[in-house]
Amino acid sequence: MSTENRFGFLDEYAKKEVRRTALKAVAIPGYQVPYSSREMPMGRGFGTGGLQLTLALIGAGDTLKVIDQGSDDSVNAVNLRQFIEMTCPGVNTTSSTEDADLIQSRHRIPEAPLREDQLLVLQVPYPDPLVVVEASEDKRKQMHGEGDYARLLVKLYEDIVQFDEITLSHRYPTRINHHYVIDPSPIPRWDVPKLNQSSALVLLGAGREKKIYAVPPYTDAEPLVFDDIPFRVEAFFDEHGERRACARCGCRSSFLDEYVDSSTAEPVYRCSDADWCNQQLLVGSQAGLDKEKSHA
Amino acid sequence: MIELDAIWTPALQQQCYRSLLQAMSYPGQVQRLPASGSENATLAILATLVDAEVSLSDHDCLLDLDAWLLLQAQKSSSDQADFILCRGDLAPALNPRLGTLSSPERSATLIVRVASVNDGNLRLKMVGPGVKGVLQRDLEGLDPAWLSQRQQWISAFPLGVDMLLVDQSSVVGIPRTTQVEVC
Repeated sequence: MSTENRFGFLDEYAKKEVRRTALKAVAIPGYQVPYSSREMPMGRGFGTGGLQLTLALIGAGDTLKVIDQGSDDSVNAVNLRQFIEMTCPGVNTTSSTEDADLIQSRHRIPEAPLREDQLLVLQVPYPDPLVVVEASEDKRKQMHGEGDYARLLVKLYEDIVQFDEITLSHRYPTRINHHYVIDPSPIPRWDVPKLNQSSALVLLGAGREKKIYAVPPYTDAEPLVFDDIPFRVEAFFDEHGERRACARCGCRSSFLDEYVDSSTAEPVYRCSDADWCNQQLLVGSQAGLDKEKSHA
Repeated sequence: MIELDAIWTPALQQQCYRSLLQAMSYPGQVQRLPASGSENATLAILATLVDAEVSLSDHDCLLDLDAWLLLQAQKSSSDQADFILCRGDLAPALNPRLGTLSSPERSATLIVRVASVNDGNLRLKMVGPGVKGVLQRDLEGLDPAWLSQRQQWISAFPLGVDMLLVDQSSVVGIPRTTQVEVC
């Protein structure tokens, strides 16, 4: 069979392997299941792990959303979406979080809570949180099996001694179902609590490192912390202690990206999740219309 | 041209897989498998998951020769197999692979045929990842000895086995993390 008329680019044997791997990943929450990651027509490190998962999962009639850092229109998302559209006839694509049943994402979890009928695939560059403290994979597998994360905790403790704070901004080590600690991919701290008791299944794929792991729905996901130093997410407060709002939609409850206004050199804050921002604008303009109506 | 049932086509296997993934993600919830000509749900599941790369044990002789030829799986004994097909109404008499501490995925997946996953006289209470609170599931055609045997297999997480209970048209997943009680 030529690749031109093969649905989903991967051959059926490759898909079956990814599928079997993902089933074991769900059954052993947080454990990195090895698989033989295939060559894709793009460089490893460009989301090939997430892409292979998506291609093994997707079928005609599915509605797919692809995001990169919250945006549907950045290069990585556009490339992956076009590739999937090209190789999977009958698949719908959308930028709406609500309409999608499959969401592939790089470095963000959508702001809107996901549902049981949705599935999130995250692209992972570095799957193993222990790699910073142990170079040998054999030893790391042993440590994971035993749930031995003492050295990782020492690393975090050293941060506190040196900087009075754990200085990880993203890829925050998170313990799944009280056993395995995962690298939740480079999502900001802001997104880590969304993994906890999520309604939707989260699958994580690392193409270059050849690993697939999962955070099943309704499963405890706890960031590694110390009893006396609670986990904190990003705080978006200005110098007066007021929560910053998105410059576009005015939302004060979303994760904000910081830009620099090129004419004034002032920082500008906007929602990182593009679909969320659009939804807030819609809600806002609807509220404005309702107000006008009631005045008339 | 040989006429093959839809379960041997990629499109149906993809739909079937999504039901299996949903079943494993939400233990205890009944997932309907996509309709095919044969209404043979166990064979549809095997066709979806198995190929020449994995080993299969037909512990209670439920497969015919045609199925073996199409599945292409390596025939294996139940203590070595990646996938084990067995009857739920018989008490388990097997010794499946449980994986190892550093590679718990090298454990068997049991595909257990039961009379019904929708109702019946065996009521199970399930708790664990994928279950919101507590879930009750009524079954027909599962020998209760399976549950005590399973308890031994899964007693040392991350080691264990993962089960798919299958009737004529639907599947219920019980991964190793689910705590099951008979009520």
